Amino acid sequence: MNIEQVLFGAFAFLTLLSAGLVIFARSPISSAMALVSTFFFLAGIYVLLWAHTVAALQVLVYAGAIMVLFLFVIMLLNLGDELPGSRLTFSRILGGGAAAGLFAVLALAIARVPGRVADLGTQQESFGTLKAIGASIFTTWLLPFEAVSLLLLVAMVGAVVVAKSRI
Amino acid sequence: MKRVLTILFAIGFIVFLLAGGVLTAYAVGALAEEKLFVGASRLTNVIFLMLIFVMIIATMLTLAERKWSALMQDRIGPNRARIALPGLKNLSLAGLPFVAADSLKMLTKEDFVPQTANRFLFNLSPLLAFAPVFALFAIVPAGPSVTLWGQRVDMVVGTPDFGLLYLFAIASLAVYGTALAGWSSNNKFALLGGVRATSQMISYEVALGLSLVGVMLAFGSVQLPAIVGTLAAETGGAAAGQARYLWQWAGGAAGEGFDFGLPAWGIILQPLGFIGFFAAAFAETKRAPFDVPEGESEIIGYFVEYSGMKFGLFMISEFVEVVVLSGVTAALFFGGYHLPFGGEWLATQLKDSPLVYATLLGTFFWVKVLLLCFLQLLIRWTFPRFRYDQIQTLGWKMLLPVGLANVFISGALVLWDPSLRALALFGLLQIGVLMALSLSRKESAEPEHGPGHGHGALGHGHEPHGLPGGAHGHALPAHGHAAASLGGNTPAGAHAGAHPASTH
Repeated sequence: MNIEQVLFGAFAFLTLLSAGLVIFARSPISSAMALVSTFFFLAGIYVLLWAHTVAALQVLVYAGAIMVLFLFVIMLLNLGDELPGSRLTFSRILGGGAAAGLFAVLALAIARVPGRVADLGTQQESFGTLKAIGASIFTTWLLPFEAVSLLLLVAMVGAVVVAKSRI
Repeated sequence: MKRVLTILFAIGFIVFLLAGGVLTAYAVGALAEEKLFVGASRLTNVIFLMLIFVMIIATMLTLAERKWSALMQDRIGPNRARIALPGLKNLSLAGLPFVAADSLKMLTKEDFVPQTANRFLFNLSPLLAFAPVFALFAIVPAGPSVTLWGQRVDMVVGTPDFGLLYLFAIASLAVYGTALAGWSSNNKFALLGGVRATSQMISYEVALGLSLVGVMLAFGSVQLPAIVGTLAAETGGAAAGQARYLWQWAGGAAGEGFDFGLPAWGIILQPLGFIGFFAAAFAETKRAPFDVPEGESEIIGYFVEYSGMKFGLFMISEFVEVVVLSGVTAALFFGGYHLPFGGEWLATQLKDSPLVYATLLGTFFWVKVLLLCFLQLLIRWTFPRFRYDQIQTLGWKMLLPVGLANVFISGALVLWDPSLRALALFGLLQIGVLMALSLSRKESAEPEHGPGHGHGALGHGHEPHGLPGGAHGHALPAHGHAAASLGGNTPAGAHAGAHPASTH
């Protein structure tokens, strides 16, 4: 058992633990903070997968920006603790079904992963670096990248229009 | 005369202490490399750079802030804490016993937790506020990499591939501490402070990142050691980064006499980037003029319920942030540990004594850091607080468009002239316009000019004349026209409110 496996085990356990806390915590703030720590431990797993840049972006974008906004909204609305209800509503059944379906798909996908991990080969040095990711974003994946940025622009314009009825 | 001598002695003593610290850091790093394992000097750097240098300077800043503010306000400042030991003769010792008195007070105070507070988050948030700020210094190089006794010693903790992204990622986490402190106290004023802190920090993170893009473009790297650069005399190749000259007027490439010229420092290439970064980072430290999250006068602070050392952690994390901000600014915009000129000459002269060379340059870096800390305290004690809408206007309507324009102009100029001379000329032009505007402020202080200036900055963000106008407008909130220029593009209510606020 080498250090990588130990680290992976620790990160995976902590990811699952905090993901469970997201669901089971009573107060919305605790849920949000548990989600932040989930993102952190996921970033650790990304590092183990040689994806340093993705790990840094994960912390920067999800933990540092998006979850702060979540927290901000929860604080502003001042939501109280949620009492556990036992009623089996339609939305709960739908959500449970969707989760079970996702679990089935993921289980199938994991079952198909080959036992041996592919060798990085000549990419060993540059794999996962900022330079390699930047180069592939602006060459191979330029169109999807620009499409996503257009999507963000549309979302931004939409938010401005909704917030400000008279411009 | 006696006073001048005292000040000179104090400055010399501080520089001597810094040099001693740098010398020890290098020597211990080399020893660790030799005795332990390759790369062990990075671990000793954690202790020396982050625990000793940053923490001690931050602790001393708590005293320095009071002393320097007293100097600026023509007071004596803290001198009442004294140690009545026979040898010390009950002297005030420049206020140094205050550091000990403060920490004793913090440690012995009652550790109070409000009854309705969320206990876990209440205890966690001081740590969440302190830890990210403390971790920031890890990527700042505080001295040259030299070979000591056959061992390579770097004066930096980490050099991750993503460089400055680390800075942005970790800095963006500091907001959790303040937000949660405000929320978990279960106090309306604390919550208000926390919400203010959150919105302010989110707003300025955008400007913070955008203002550094120009520097990354100019030096073609996101890693701080590459941006700081290396001398020709150190590597044998051509000088790189901020160590090279834009125009060299004397001396050869390596060691042919004393070299003199205009260095490729970030402040010359990116004056706007510097102003944007400094303002945005200043807002992240939550100190005046951006101190609405604390609001000491109306007691709406996110830490209003904290006492003892938990409050101390919030306070010290601000001072640590001041030191880290100075370090990053020195590395990005003021040539890191390099001398402005004569660097090649010095490196050639001291080729055979790397320890002396490294100590000299490392001390020079910390002197730069201290000067930038002084500049920040100067700003903090010079400007009154911005109103809340002014803070948001400055972040979103001034720094953001100016930063965006700066990215496009810098990118075009770097592409057009890879030797960066065109960028430097443009930067010098900006500095000249800025200086002319700040010198001419007394003649043009009529209130009518304010909104015009503000609109010039907002409307024509890409023109050199419009940009300093924005800086001019927000740099002088004490004057009648500045508040109006900030409110220039805000709704009518905010605009009308600007005038009474600016008159007292």
